[in-house]
Amino acid sequence: MGRNKSEKLKNMCIFALPGIFVFCAVVIIPFIYGFYLTLTDWNGVSQVKNLVGFTNYGEVFKDADFWNSMLLTLKYVLFSVLLVNLVAFLLAYMLTNGVKGQNFFRTGFFTPNLIGGVVLGFIWQFIFSRVLVNFGEATGWGIFSTSWLSDPNKAFWSMVIVTVWQLSGYMMIIYIAGFTGLSTDVMEAASIDGATGFQRLKSIILPLMVPSFVICLFLTLSRAFMVYDVNLTLTGGEPYGTTRLVAMHVYEKAFTARNYGVGQAEALFLFLIVACISGVQIYMGKRKEVEA
Amino acid sequence: MKSKKITALLTAAVLTVSLLAGCSSGSGGGSSAGNSEYAGTKISFLNSKGEIQSGLEEMAEAFEKGTGIVVDIMACGAGEVPYTKITSAYNSGTAPTMAMLDTTDIIALAEEYALDLSDAEWIGEAEAQITRVNDKVYSFPFCVEGRGLIYNKTAIEDTLGTNFDPSSINSYDALKSLLEQLRAAGMENPVVISKEDWSLGAHQLGFIYDAYDGTTKGADDIMAQLKGGLDPLEYARFNEFVDTLDLLLEYNINGKNPLGALYEQDPIFLVDGDAAIWANGVWAWPNLTDAGAESSDEYGFLPFVLGNDTSDFANNGIQAAASKQVMIDKVQASEQEQNAAKEFLNWIVYNETGQQMLVETCAVIPACGNNKNEPLDPLGKDIQQKMADGKAFSSSFIAPSDHWSVMGAAMQKYIAKESSREELAQSLSGYWKAQ
Repeated sequence: MGRNKSEKLKNMCIFALPGIFVFCAVVIIPFIYGFYLTLTDWNGVSQVKNLVGFTNYGEVFKDADFWNSMLLTLKYVLFSVLLVNLVAFLLAYMLTNGVKGQNFFRTGFFTPNLIGGVVLGFIWQFIFSRVLVNFGEATGWGIFSTSWLSDPNKAFWSMVIVTVWQLSGYMMIIYIAGFTGLSTDVMEAASIDGATGFQRLKSIILPLMVPSFVICLFLTLSRAFMVYDVNLTLTGGEPYGTTRLVAMHVYEKAFTARNYGVGQAEALFLFLIVACISGVQIYMGKRKEVEA
Repeated sequence: MKSKKITALLTAAVLTVSLLAGCSSGSGGGSSAGNSEYAGTKISFLNSKGEIQSGLEEMAEAFEKGTGIVVDIMACGAGEVPYTKITSAYNSGTAPTMAMLDTTDIIALAEEYALDLSDAEWIGEAEAQITRVNDKVYSFPFCVEGRGLIYNKTAIEDTLGTNFDPSSINSYDALKSLLEQLRAAGMENPVVISKEDWSLGAHQLGFIYDAYDGTTKGADDIMAQLKGGLDPLEYARFNEFVDTLDLLLEYNINGKNPLGALYEQDPIFLVDGDAAIWANGVWAWPNLTDAGAESSDEYGFLPFVLGNDTSDFANNGIQAAASKQVMIDKVQASEQEQNAAKEFLNWIVYNETGQQMLVETCAVIPACGNNKNEPLDPLGKDIQQKMADGKAFSSSFIAPSDHWSVMGAAMQKYIAKESSREELAQSLSGYWKAQ
């Protein structure tokens, strides 16, 4: 297709325009409008919006709770990303070595990802505050005797555990794709050269799997930064606001405190931080990619 | 090649059209016969009391039968904040004709979005419960709600082996001795304190505002003083409140891990008689029913006692005020829809079926004095009785919208013993100074 310029243009219009239209409608325009809102004192509903310049950005720097929840989010992202990818990689490694019933296990590990975050949060809330507490009472294990969700530290780890449980199945699928895409020639050559299992993993498999790592890290990073559903239904920011991640803080600022401008400005900061981190991660990852 | 190209084009076209399909809106709707001049009009009603959703739907059906006006009851999902819902409805141009909201939200929206109802007939029926914004009425008081300490009379009497007179609990000391007696008689932890931030931050802590002098104006006063720098520790009501809270916490059945309390479990303690007192409000009745309570059981309210003055209004009555208000949209609704909405409100106030269904089907306490139906549940009955006897104060404090959430967290910290009275006072004064 596309023998001359007008043909090319026509094809572009047919195939690209709908996509561009949607992208503009749901990403670009809201983004620009959102930026405009950061310059106003809008409360979320009034018909008049007064321009207030950059004072909302000043408010962001004065909002200690925002930076606290940002720190907490960074901690959460760090642990979830590491654990999700570690667990996913190990699962994929095990399930590509011809374990009996591996298709069944693949499906099983992937299933949690099909449950929506809200439902998932409720299910795990029940597990942490009921099942485990009863279990602790029955067995006398101190660690389970009180609900994990009532202690700031344990509540944080509950969120990490649930996230790992939810996301690792998804990432596992991507790693499995990476494993099955490994060229058998290379693997065979390595075996003939006498590489042990660990050497093969370190020098052959890992470098060849970098593209999978790049995409998985990117997906987990962005999902962990933006997490809201699990946070809302599992802990709701409790106990006493100690597990409020940054997305939830932004929501509360904009809608509960009815301070839309400040909330939007904080969201913009969140965007910048996530964009920088993901960008750096992709750039570094791409440089490490090798050809087999 | 040709057929491939056509397929590709068709696919692209279908995808594009299906994208746009979401934007079109269905219109129409059958008109049914009815005896109202607005018969066939379709209006909507945003319900923010999840527990009466099915009751309201039944009411809407009965109303439609009588008038031909169709009322669509929109539910506000669990965990969904009504104000957020109405905000997004306004921003997307799909505002409900009527919205049931908390007083704070009504005040925030009143002048810009709510229809002026100052000349409505029902104002005369509910004078004490009317909220005014700059001397104008923008909302209909849908129901009265009250809060205090819910008691299970049977559980108390069974434990103590004597008759229990709720009016004898009119001071901190009286409550203390009751709790001591209950513990001595074998009920180890007679109190249930829920850990929900809305309960702690708005309903419990709210007593320091509502009990200032028992009026909403008084509550505004004390909030202004706190904003002006009044130290909560110098404010008698705050100290009395924390004293009572400490007392309740000492006997809290969730005491081992106060923040591990479960809102579904809390009413079960009360109904089973493991505990006898639950700090909550009339809206907790559906939860009690779920836990096995019957309408014929004896439940009622004790005041959330503050201090030892037995003649104090706060120790002799409970707080009860119109807490859910209905406003009619003036921006996006047509005049016909507005009139149909007004007719719905009038039907609730003046039509016999409407009156009865409000009280019996929805199980709420009517704010309008002309509605003589008696609530079926004991908590509602108790509040109605107390209002009739003048043993209720109608203050309904109006705090900034994030008060419950911010102070709820501070209260959670306090009940978990992670902060002291001084720190709680500091959070409170910090919150108000930042306003």
